Amino acid sequence: MLEPKTVLFLAAVLFSAGMYGVLSRRNMIMILMSLELMLNAVNISLVTYSRHWAGQGAGLMGSHSGQFFTLMVMAVAAAEVGIGLAIIVAIYRRTQTADADSAAELKN
Amino acid sequence: MEVIFVISSLVCVLGTVILITQRNAVYALLGLLIAFFGSAGVFLSLNAPFIAVAQILIYAGALAVMFLFVLMFTDTRTRLDRLGLPGAVGARPNWKRAFDPKAVEKAMKFNPLDHILLPQPLAAVIAVAFLLCSSFAIYKLPAAYNEFKPLPDGYDSILFTSGAGAGRLMKYGGTEAVSKTIFEGFPLAFEVVSLLIFAAVLGAVLLARRHLAGIPGTQDVVQPESSESSH
Repeated sequence: MLEPKTVLFLAAVLFSAGMYGVLSRRNMIMILMSLELMLNAVNISLVTYSRHWAGQGAGLMGSHSGQFFTLMVMAVAAAEVGIGLAIIVAIYRRTQTADADSAAELKN
Repeated sequence: MEVIFVISSLVCVLGTVILITQRNAVYALLGLLIAFFGSAGVFLSLNAPFIAVAQILIYAGALAVMFLFVLMFTDTRTRLDRLGLPGAVGARPNWKRAFDPKAVEKAMKFNPLDHILLPQPLAAVIAVAFLLCSSFAIYKLPAAYNEFKPLPDGYDSILFTSGAGAGRLMKYGGTEAVSKTIFEGFPLAFEVVSLLIFAAVLGAVLLARRHLAGIPGTQDVVQPESSESSH
């Protein structure tokens, strides 16, 4: 039997793995990729809660609001990756590296 | 349901492991793709088919291609790599070893450890601590979380038809239900997100443009690296 706790644990595992990626990588693109994994883990837990509490809300707003919120997170993640990659390209053009330390100072 | 969940969560974890261990950025991106497909399967097992398809379209389709683009035209070696420090990917060749045929043969052998990142202890400690804390919180959840509640009235599971002769039931998590939620429940949020994406597109175009007249930050700067690596 599929339990909500199991799915939430999967989400926690993915989130921590993404956190490890964010903390351990030096390349900014890899950091963004790990960040996407963390957002994905949050999406899984949102959908889990949405499915679990679907019958408790009033009407459509209650039954699917978690899934709607997941769609919003996806849209924000897409926008964030677009902006983030554009910033990485801009930094790369100036410093010729995608190393996160190269962006340590904003001036010049 | 359970079978789908087990298989896709294993796929998801496999992709995650590839993502955080591979040194080569393109392989890591492949791992991220695998993880996205796996989590689409998890969404499917949670009765969210629309989210699953959106996941594949947006994440595995659009985002992966965007990442691949930027990976392809940036140099993903770090500054340490380029200085040829030991342990870096493009480490400086050891000439004494390079002229010894036996050592060359040994070095040319495929060693999987060359392609895997060294674990970072501090990051691992923080991530494992987070995992422990959150799993303790999940373990302590009330008994209501031991089993999924049944689907609300008027909805049918996407994969298995529950009731006999269930004629006109909306599929839970299907396109119809989700679109009704968006356009009847939260139309304002939907419009705000469209504004956000518009702003993001404008910002991305502006940031990635080169040679903006009169703006110094947009010119190409090629750093003289010869002075650093000559000695």
